[in-house]
Amino acid sequence: MKRRDFIKSSLTAVAATAAFQTVAGKAMAGSVLKVGVMIPLSGPAGLFGPASKNVSQMAAEDINAAGGILGRQIEIIFGDAGLPPAEAAQTALRLWRGEGCEAFIGMHDSAVRGALINVFKEQVPYVYCPNYEGGECANGVYYVGETPAQSVVPTMTWLANEKNCKKFYLIGNDYNWPRDTNAIAKNTIADIGGEVVGEEYMPFTVDNFDSSLAKIKDSGADMVLITLVGGASVSFNRAFASFGLADNVMRLGTLIDENTLMGIGAENSKNVFSAASYFANIETADAKAFAESYSAKFGSKAALLNGLSTSCYDGLTALDAIAERAGGLSVKEMDSVAEGTAFGSPRGDAVMKNRHLTLDIYLAEAKGTDFKIVKTFSKQEPGNFCKA
Amino acid sequence: MEALITFVLNFIYSSATLALIVLGLAMVFGLLGVMNMAHGEFVMLGAYSAYVVQSLGLNFIWAIPISILVCVIVGWLMEWTIIRHLYNRPFDTLLATWGVAILIRKGIEAIFSRDYKSVDQVMPGTIDILGITYPSYRLILIAIIILLFVTLFAWYQKSKTGLRIRAMVQNPGLASAVGIDTSRLSTVTFIIGVSFAGLAGVLLAPLVRVEPYIGLDYLLSSFFILIVGGLGTLEGLLIGSAVIGGSDALISTIFDKTAGYLSVLLLSILFLWLRPDGIYSRR
Repeated sequence: MKRRDFIKSSLTAVAATAAFQTVAGKAMAGSVLKVGVMIPLSGPAGLFGPASKNVSQMAAEDINAAGGILGRQIEIIFGDAGLPPAEAAQTALRLWRGEGCEAFIGMHDSAVRGALINVFKEQVPYVYCPNYEGGECANGVYYVGETPAQSVVPTMTWLANEKNCKKFYLIGNDYNWPRDTNAIAKNTIADIGGEVVGEEYMPFTVDNFDSSLAKIKDSGADMVLITLVGGASVSFNRAFASFGLADNVMRLGTLIDENTLMGIGAENSKNVFSAASYFANIETADAKAFAESYSAKFGSKAALLNGLSTSCYDGLTALDAIAERAGGLSVKEMDSVAEGTAFGSPRGDAVMKNRHLTLDIYLAEAKGTDFKIVKTFSKQEPGNFCKA
Repeated sequence: MEALITFVLNFIYSSATLALIVLGLAMVFGLLGVMNMAHGEFVMLGAYSAYVVQSLGLNFIWAIPISILVCVIVGWLMEWTIIRHLYNRPFDTLLATWGVAILIRKGIEAIFSRDYKSVDQVMPGTIDILGITYPSYRLILIAIIILLFVTLFAWYQKSKTGLRIRAMVQNPGLASAVGIDTSRLSTVTFIIGVSFAGLAGVLLAPLVRVEPYIGLDYLLSSFFILIVGGLGTLEGLLIGSAVIGGSDALISTIFDKTAGYLSVLLLSILFLWLRPDGIYSRR
């Protein structure tokens, strides 16, 4: 084949493919709507993968049973967000451009969120599910998790008053979520006339907390705010109790979920408090119905429900609610109607404000390896991070 | 004064537990030249044995024979199918044992899921000692570890098997020429090494978190100790544990944990650079 002919035929082929794709693209309206769900399937947070997957599938079935999003049945395509941010971003790009996902849900850390926002560039709606440090305001991104302003401020104020705590020790892993959370906590401590007697950030590799425990004991702290994550939180809390500190020192955390509490163990969980927008045993009708249908569907041995995995349900529900209100999936349309979108979910009724949610926050106390809700703080406002 | 006593006890505790964890790895590497990347996984198997024993409602003491049984079976299988074909090929054993490590981790994950498990302490609570309050189980653990090391040291120096192992290590060819079954002895040494890892897992389980991936942490800290302490002697192992555990504890107490961890990394780099054979070298 001559070179000219080759170029010509290649061009024809490309043009034909392009034409076919346009036709396919038009045909897709009314067909299945693919939603990319980025959850940790590997890595340290992979622990939350199985439950997140189950919950997302449950949400998709519920949405489909109610007629889908914009009249289209939805299909979930999972992507691994447990990878380093750059690789997770590649996965998301493949789901978006390659698989044709038209909207995204994400339950992963803030570093991956940053990478995904850079990939999506406000061209595809993206709902970020877990609780996070707050402060984000990119277009086309909707946050259904609680921020420290919602979870830490009311619960810490109430608990400090209830237990008469004056001296506070802040300990967390060394990254932005603990540091931002503690910045807000320090304001709260100042407001209630307390004193910060120590603040420490641990590298992720640490699993021996002896030197910190000696400092906590020495400081005379009567409340410790814990922003350690996962395994670090388990190791810290176990050692904390073994030194006999649990009787007199309150422990409050905003990421001590059902799994972490199992690891801490009944023996070490005295005076552990956790603040979140969801616990598996919230006693509301919605939450109970959700937990029951979860165990009916996946069996009693299924991965534990917690605030993180359940946030995937809220993510998909929020996507549905906003898209229906906007009548489409374009970021511009969705952004313009997002404010005030209200929807119900397992954790209660929520209203969108500044692309975050006004929602109920629960303070739970550990009883053995179970949580017991001791106080509900209703309709906590997310604050406004979109100050132009 | 209280702070000092707490510090000294914490230092002894962390050195003792580190020495316990690294013991099996040092045996297998020092005596057989096999870098067992699955060492941490045997610690993990020990911890899960303790968990299973407790969830069956049995006395905690049962975890020790059960973990040793598990480690002997897995260790023997591993030596028989893989390791014995790779003696004197250090890099190949490194890769092969890393593969086994992944297999064990995933196997445990498939059986128990990734959820955290909690093992109760045999002796919960604290004891008032030298004017401070200290966890009772930790003190018992320190005593057990010291006893274990003394026994092991005596056995290695005095027993016939100890003599045979030393002969095999010094000159394998000559050892087999005088009638020592070096192949069987290698198997036994490997199995004893991984069983010590399992035992460490059982003893530590009540104090640490238990999940399928904990082995990696133990492997990493073991490396640092071997680098500093050198290979092939119990003395080096104890000194390595004390240096690594001590510098971490000391720097963390004075500054913070980040500085403590940094000091461990710096020490390891300095040793690799200036004294690659460690403090206590056989050579």
